[in-house]
Amino acid sequence: MKTSKDNANFKTPEGYFEGFTDKLMDRISTQKDNQRDLLSSKSSGFLVPDAYFEGLNSKILKKLDQDETKVIPLNPRAKYLYYAAAIAALVLLTIGIRYTQSAEPTFESLAKTEIEDYFEHTASGFSTYEIAEVIPVDDLEISDVLENEFEDENIIDYLDNSLDDFEELNLTDYEY
Amino acid sequence: MIVEETLVHDLKDKAKQAKAFEVLVNTYKERLYWHIRRIVLNHDDADDVLQNTFIKVYKNINGFKGDSQLFSWMYRIATNEALTFLKKKSNKLGISDAELQDRMVTNLQADVYFDGDEIQMKLQEAIARLPEKQKLVFNMKYFQELKYEEISSILNTSVGGLKASYHLAVKKLESFLKED
Repeated sequence: MKTSKDNANFKTPEGYFEGFTDKLMDRISTQKDNQRDLLSSKSSGFLVPDAYFEGLNSKILKKLDQDETKVIPLNPRAKYLYYAAAIAALVLLTIGIRYTQSAEPTFESLAKTEIEDYFEHTASGFSTYEIAEVIPVDDLEISDVLENEFEDENIIDYLDNSLDDFEELNLTDYEY
Repeated sequence: MIVEETLVHDLKDKAKQAKAFEVLVNTYKERLYWHIRRIVLNHDDADDVLQNTFIKVYKNINGFKGDSQLFSWMYRIATNEALTFLKKKSNKLGISDAELQDRMVTNLQADVYFDGDEIQMKLQEAIARLPEKQKLVFNMKYFQELKYEEISSILNTSVGGLKASYHLAVKKLESFLKED
């Protein structure tokens, strides 16, 4: 068994693994790399509350149930009021838009800052990885990201200041 | 791995789903917990992210095609959940990612679930200053002792790139720790 690099400081709360022994032994005998699994919890100072892992299953199942259980409104008639309010708001909005705006809003009419603000502040839930998956990178041009094109001179200046050696760029086919 | 294939099969079968999910949670909860804890540092946050990770796995298991190992897929979800969690937190607090990292390390000093000594504290400070990718690679390689091939399938990065990231991370940590 490998030794932990910092097991001198690694503490496990008293009784933390109680009840886990059988399961862990099963895992050790059925999975080749389970010894490493145990070591993955080497903590270099990080602790967990007593019996945290024992109660985790039921916590997750409870949360799953909450996610899947529909909320029953206390006052079923209230929803009709919401519908009425929504319709009234829609009518007012339509009238308002007709009188204040002649052209229909389009995606292009949104200011870039509004789009940026939306992603910055609404916590859209998309990670950079997820966004990267849906953006067709191959179709992108540098001009899509940068509003002003760089002059060649500026690029050379930047590289000159940022690189120790032009060789790093491996520009074997170009003269520089 | 046959055991994993059976588990995935059972997770997609309505009749066996509940039992299979329990097995899944029992098998991976500790590994995923420590992976997440290394990213978010605080136990309560790690607990939140871990639960969300398992719920995502449960809800999306039908979309799991088996192109990668279940283990890699779950690690990927856990990583994304943890990073998204931190992003949301910094947005909510109106601070930069770097400021959030500093604050997280400072909070460790008063954390009842952290009893690291001065050196360990210093190491956490140093790790917090690494770029995101290097931090992930260092934690996965050094603390969790994952193989480069495993990390490669989780982070979708070449083994060569990972070795370079790990090397750079170690160099930076060494120089930071030598500063004082």
